Amino acid sequence: MAAGRSLPAAIRLIQRGTMLRYIGRRLLIAIGTVFTSSIISFLLVHATKGSPGAVALGMGALPSDIGKFNQSVGWNDPWVTQYLRWLGHLLHGSLGESIIDSRPILDDLLARLPVTASMAFSATILSAVVGVLLGVAAAVRGGFVDRAISVVSGVSFSLPAFWVGIVLVYFLAIVHPLLPATGYVSPMDGGIGGWARSLTLPVLALAIVGAAGVARTARASMLDAIQAEHIRTLRAMGTPEWRIRYVHALRFASVPVVAVLGMQFVLLFSGSVVAEQLFALPGLGQASAAAASSHDFPVVQAIVLIATTVVVVTNLVIDLAIGMLDPKVRVA
Amino acid sequence: MTIPAFMRRPGGAFGTSWMALLILLSATSRWWLPYGINDQHYDDTLQGPSRLHWLGTDDLGRDILSRLFSSSGSMLLASLITIVVAFGLGIPAALWAAEKPRVQTVLGRVAEIIFALPMMIILLAVIGAIGVRTNTMMVVLGVLISPAVYRMLLGVALSLRQRLFVDAARVNGMGAIRVSIRHILPGMVRAIWVQVALLFAVSILIQAGLAFMGFGPQEPNPSWGGMINAASVHVYDAPWMLVPTGLALALTVIAANEIGDAIAATAPGVVVVETVRRRRTPPPAAKGAAPASAALSVRDLRVSVSGGAALVTDVSFDVEPGKVLGLVGESGCGKTMTALAVLGLLPNGVEIGRGEVWVAGRNLVACTAHELQRVRGSEIAFISQEPMVALDPMFSVAYQLMQPIRRLRGVGKAEARRIAAELLLQVGIVDVERIMHSYAHQLSGGMAQRVAIALALTGEPKVLIADEPTTALDVTVQAEILSLLRGIIASRGMSLVLVTHDLGVVADICDTVAVMYAGEIVETGAMATVLDHPTHPYAFALKGADPHVPAGVPVPKRLLSIEGSVPAPADWVVSCRFEPRCPFADAACRAPSRLLLSPTGGLVRCVRANELDAQASARMGGDPR
Repeated sequence: MAAGRSLPAAIRLIQRGTMLRYIGRRLLIAIGTVFTSSIISFLLVHATKGSPGAVALGMGALPSDIGKFNQSVGWNDPWVTQYLRWLGHLLHGSLGESIIDSRPILDDLLARLPVTASMAFSATILSAVVGVLLGVAAAVRGGFVDRAISVVSGVSFSLPAFWVGIVLVYFLAIVHPLLPATGYVSPMDGGIGGWARSLTLPVLALAIVGAAGVARTARASMLDAIQAEHIRTLRAMGTPEWRIRYVHALRFASVPVVAVLGMQFVLLFSGSVVAEQLFALPGLGQASAAAASSHDFPVVQAIVLIATTVVVVTNLVIDLAIGMLDPKVRVA
Repeated sequence: MTIPAFMRRPGGAFGTSWMALLILLSATSRWWLPYGINDQHYDDTLQGPSRLHWLGTDDLGRDILSRLFSSSGSMLLASLITIVVAFGLGIPAALWAAEKPRVQTVLGRVAEIIFALPMMIILLAVIGAIGVRTNTMMVVLGVLISPAVYRMLLGVALSLRQRLFVDAARVNGMGAIRVSIRHILPGMVRAIWVQVALLFAVSILIQAGLAFMGFGPQEPNPSWGGMINAASVHVYDAPWMLVPTGLALALTVIAANEIGDAIAATAPGVVVVETVRRRRTPPPAAKGAAPASAALSVRDLRVSVSGGAALVTDVSFDVEPGKVLGLVGESGCGKTMTALAVLGLLPNGVEIGRGEVWVAGRNLVACTAHELQRVRGSEIAFISQEPMVALDPMFSVAYQLMQPIRRLRGVGKAEARRIAAELLLQVGIVDVERIMHSYAHQLSGGMAQRVAIALALTGEPKVLIADEPTTALDVTVQAEILSLLRGIIASRGMSLVLVTHDLGVVADICDTVAVMYAGEIVETGAMATVLDHPTHPYAFALKGADPHVPAGVPVPKRLLSIEGSVPAPADWVVSCRFEPRCPFADAACRAPSRLLLSPTGGLVRCVRANELDAQASARMGGDPR
């Protein structure tokens, strides 16, 4: 009943305009963030001594050839001109070409995006479900259950995901060969089953750490909620305990938990770099690591743009979700 | 030398010991390491632990122990760079923003934007631009983390700024910078240390992650991330390699996090919540019959900290239907604990030691949690001190009222809505429809208290317990709420227990009064008698300290103040508990005190009451009444 009420309420408010103004403000900040990050990545590239010519032509290239190459890609223009040109291409749906293999960057990255997104998304969902269940159980049950969950989540929270990944590979792919150790199978090639099997280990590795983080937040905010003054009012009214816990306290605790889930998704998306390296997954992270080590500037810039957009969109979605959950945000 | 409090917690003790050991071993590594970082032993590659190589060897036969501790020092130092940068930016920014609202707006935007940058990707972009330079990367990481530091510390700084002593310093003409450094910064120290520990862990993890991907110190130089990467290649043939470095890394991060958590947990005001499952073992209470006429009857109530000091002892009172009992006393004398005990709503760790609470023919103390739940709302209800936080902030007023109405009166949705609107009208709300759609944060204090009263009335209870219901409200609103309560009690024949420290409120609305001191009732009787003619030394001291003056009486030059303060439960004396502060105490007062019949017809807990009363009336030269 509680959840059912909030959606129509939110729609009513969108119609009334309060929510619309809230969304508008968040959207402006989001666009500002994307621009800032693209400018930062541009400045970064131009602040260094290297040049695309030197990277593309390799070690033994003649300085005159390097100069010609740089001239041809417009490297010698002022960076503002180059930035505006880059923006112009962006408006036409182009992110330029790799200076290593001259392939169009956008096509390559679009092919990689689903890998990273599905991994980060599955890991977030898994950590949300497990984390909330554990955190709420710890807060509500207390005693031994609480202590056990707190210790386990405290330790898991501190484990490096890539190390967890290797340990999982050892136990679930080598000692008990249940799952493929590395590699990615797209749903087109291996069907949903093959795809899911190829993602299970990376998702587990990320979700173990993620769930621990969510559990810590869920426990803390649920404890806060249970001790809140309005919960005492409910108790004084003889409200049944299940309703106090799972309608009122949980709704109260949901706001920080949703905020942390957003941060988890961003962390997992950005942290997929390491997981993709470990599990040999052809995602954005792998591309960014490769581009970073080969100094493929246009690819680095494109990835920064895409990753920032993903973060910004995630934050926007989370803000909207919190707006729907929390009347204080919704009804200013 | 005393051990800091956070180290006395198990997590803090573990974290500190591991960090100290790690730093010690790293700092002295050049003197004790058995092998050089690049001493290769081709006969002993991929070995497990042995006498020669305590932690085994890697794929080139290099000693893992040596590589582990020769690289740990530079790893810790590099993480320190991040911390210094992040706090070097975050602390001044937070202090500055706390002083200047305009700066706060601008920095808030900047922080929001930096915070939204994907950290790992930006670090890779930096590597793509300048190559692998660990120190520069750690500086960049510090910048990327600084918004988190800024936001956290700004919150602390703002709340410190609101404290009185900072205002006092400002009024005394201290400059903004000096106020920040002298008064705000010291208050932030704990929050800073917590963040330092937690971000140190983040920094180590990210550093290891980068090194794992090959963006760390280059071969043959060791790094923990790089060693784990090498181990991942040999997970098929030498899984042991994963263990030492992985454990060392995990322990280091756990240690930093545990230190942070431990420091946070020792903050003053942080109550470590013992979430004990409520297994209420009802105290041995006589299953006697309810006293006939009273709506609420409390007998011999004792409330104590679980397995510890008593907070309330020997409290008994009755409230007749349609009557109001005022429970008065200074803060800390047990009034609120008594009120909460009546409802069975004592906070965790506090319990009813003995006694009986009779409502509607039931002894609530002997009830199970389920029985108690059924009595609450329908027989007895509660109005709290802070109406704004007493209402659920997440649900509309309509929902909060309709839900108990449906449950307690067994009616449908439409009928519940009608009853809710009617109740709101009865508590003096004119704009019923708007209030029904409102949330707690949209209501004023007085309006919220009216809604809270309506909520308490949803189950048509016979008894209301109100804990300082007007204290948090404006003076004008206080009077309105009091007259509303009086009207409700009178028209519905309900009983009210009103907890207050305000004798004016008592005079306004109460029929009987119980004055509490140090966890016990010291005087009780009819309101007019106790207020006009108190017989307990504490009660007349209270009256002397009351700023209310009846019309026609000259305002006293100065109010009486009672020497000393209410003793904490642990400091209660065996004798009369007021004896240490009582100006009339003599030898007779050393014995434990009992409630006695007072000269005015009530009960008083003072052996000298009659004697003092006679003296007082002799001095006044008149009849005691």
